[in-house]
Amino acid sequence: MMLKLGVFELTDCGGCALNILFLYEKLFDLLEFYEIKEFHMASSFKEHDTLDVALVTGTVSTQRDLNLLHYARNHSKYLIALGTCATHGDVQASVEGKIREKLEKVYGTKANPMRALDSTPIVQHVAVDYALPGCPYDKDEIYQILMNLAKGVEPPTKDYPVCIECKLNEYECVLIKRGTPCLGPITLGGCNAVCIKSKVGCIGCRGPLPKEANPAGEFEILKELGYGEEYIRRKFKTFARGELRW
Amino acid sequence: MVSIEIDAFTRVEGNGGAEVIIENGEVKDVKVKIFEGPRFFELLTLGRYYWDVPDLEARICAICYLSHSVASVLGIERAFGVKVSKEIELLRELGLLGELLESNALHLYLLVAPDLFGYSDAIRMATKHGEIVKEGLAIKAFGNYIREIIGGREIHGINVKPGGFGRYPTVEELERMERQSEALLRLARRGVGIFAGQEALGAKPVHYIAVNGYLYGDKLIASDKDTFDYFEHIEEKALSYSFAKQSRYKGEIFMVGALPRVLLKSEMLTPMAKHLYEEYKEKLAQGYVSLNNLAQAIELVYALERTKEITRELLDKGIDGENVPIEPQEGEGIGYVEAPRGVLIHHYKIDEKGNIAYSNIITPTAFNHAIMELSLYEEAKRRYGTSDESTFLQKLEETVRAFDPCISCSVHVVRL
Ligand code: SF4
Ligand code: SF4
Repeated sequence: MMLKLGVFELTDCGGCALNILFLYEKLFDLLEFYEIKEFHMASSFKEHDTLDVALVTGTVSTQRDLNLLHYARNHSKYLIALGTCATHGDVQASVEGKIREKLEKVYGTKANPMRALDSTPIVQHVAVDYALPGCPYDKDEIYQILMNLAKGVEPPTKDYPVCIECKLNEYECVLIKRGTPCLGPITLGGCNAVCIKSKVGCIGCRGPLPKEANPAGEFEILKELGYGEEYIRRKFKTFARGELRW
Repeated sequence: MVSIEIDAFTRVEGNGGAEVIIENGEVKDVKVKIFEGPRFFELLTLGRYYWDVPDLEARICAICYLSHSVASVLGIERAFGVKVSKEIELLRELGLLGELLESNALHLYLLVAPDLFGYSDAIRMATKHGEIVKEGLAIKAFGNYIREIIGGREIHGINVKPGGFGRYPTVEELERMERQSEALLRLARRGVGIFAGQEALGAKPVHYIAVNGYLYGDKLIASDKDTFDYFEHIEEKALSYSFAKQSRYKGEIFMVGALPRVLLKSEMLTPMAKHLYEEYKEKLAQGYVSLNNLAQAIELVYALERTKEITRELLDKGIDGENVPIEPQEGEGIGYVEAPRGVLIHHYKIDEKGNIAYSNIITPTAFNHAIMELSLYEEAKRRYGTSDESTFLQKLEETVRAFDPCISCSVHVVRL
């Protein structure tokens, strides 16, 4: 039995939907188990049907987004919040201010005919069955998750910081050795520490590590390195404003 | 009055639709509605330290994240009066070539080709025309490989920095790029033949606008031979039915993208691409917006040839891997880049501490918003009453698709 898959894109950069196409031949492997019923970036085909799996990317930033999200939730058995926009709000949720003020600054009017909302992650609006953060998420991870589901297995959740993958790759620690601000110690791993490979610090795009993270400790380290408190605070909340832990 | 709604364009990036307004049996107006929510990128960057800004701006759009990083870096460097080495310039160009390969191939082979062969998507098309889809994917994957090496990741890498790079490519990586660009040229040439077959759709713009260098530069050029800064001749206005603004050049509608690039900058093309340009010159000069697809196909050949030239030059010379040190100071700068879809502008003012005080970003899809609307209007007028409804809608969608619109990036047009 083929599983029915839908990809729904709310307000975002398109990266989390695009990343599915970047699976290349692995996408064709997935298509042995899944039938795509909705994926507007890639297909004009659309069938209103009950879905086995819905992937939802982006933040709720308009009334239309909210309606689409509820549609996806009501029509799917298993819903995955895909990408940091969906799981934590990403950069657009970190923009301060109320929607009317923001609209005024940008469009010169407080009128809101298109019904824009302050950006929020989808997990604030509906129950999700799985949340995969990353801006964008690691594409092999979504492949594994979908394969697991096709075989009836609940996919595992990662729970270690970026630092672990940095050590496994034997990259030089940019925080300690170079004094570069790096959020690796308090950010959820799963990206293979790709930014540290480029010798730049982790900017926290996978969102905060849920359990043992020690943001207060990280805060102190950065302060000792000479970074201002406001700077550090902004850095902490860029991808996960709604998250209390940061 | 009745209207025909296109709820949501498909096989385009982002969320947008159109309304065709019919009065007394005639097409009266078309409105292109961009309903992707606003993401307020300029507000996001205000007050941020310059070093962190290119990584955030990259998130405007995934398909062309590197164009955003480079435009951002160029704007910042110009504000500080920083001049980088030839090596850094070439590596940035290489990254942009990778992006052009990835984006044009995605658009042509996965989004446009199904129209030419009569399928709803490339996956369904692959059952009968697998080889064409696979060829497109091979070119796209190569573009992504370059983005990964230069940009740090396929999507939203943070390796492109003011003053240089986090990490420089190795000899092996450059050699691999040189080899693969050579090997893929044959496929790209074949592609030109496939995409030359598309019928004329949409309007013919009054003006074409591009950046003065092929992929990046320091001014804009236009078909009336003017060289200028964007704020001199381009004006934007907000609309009540769309989150994206519209722009005019000297009060008139214009187009940016691959077609304007090859028309305005044909003398900069590489040998084989130039040869192909000459072959299709008359056709391209007809100017219909759907010829953007053919221009994109010629650009795939250009990008592969140019990648080969650059990697050879870097291999012969050897990589120094030296960044230019930066001392923040008060200043103002504009970065002009040709994103795959056309002119992209990042304009900043920075304070003496190195924090962003003003930011204005204008993206290609915003520039094309007006010509897209006019194209739909003309196409709808031509077809209304003569083709059945499903063909009518199909052709309107094809017209929009020719712009390769990237809707999520169009909604950040703002002046602060
Ligand atoms: S999480 Fe990042 S990559 Fe994914 S849609 Fe949002 S901004 Fe784009
Ligand atoms: S290293 Fe950090 S910023 Fe880079 S991809 Fe991983 S989580 Fe994101």
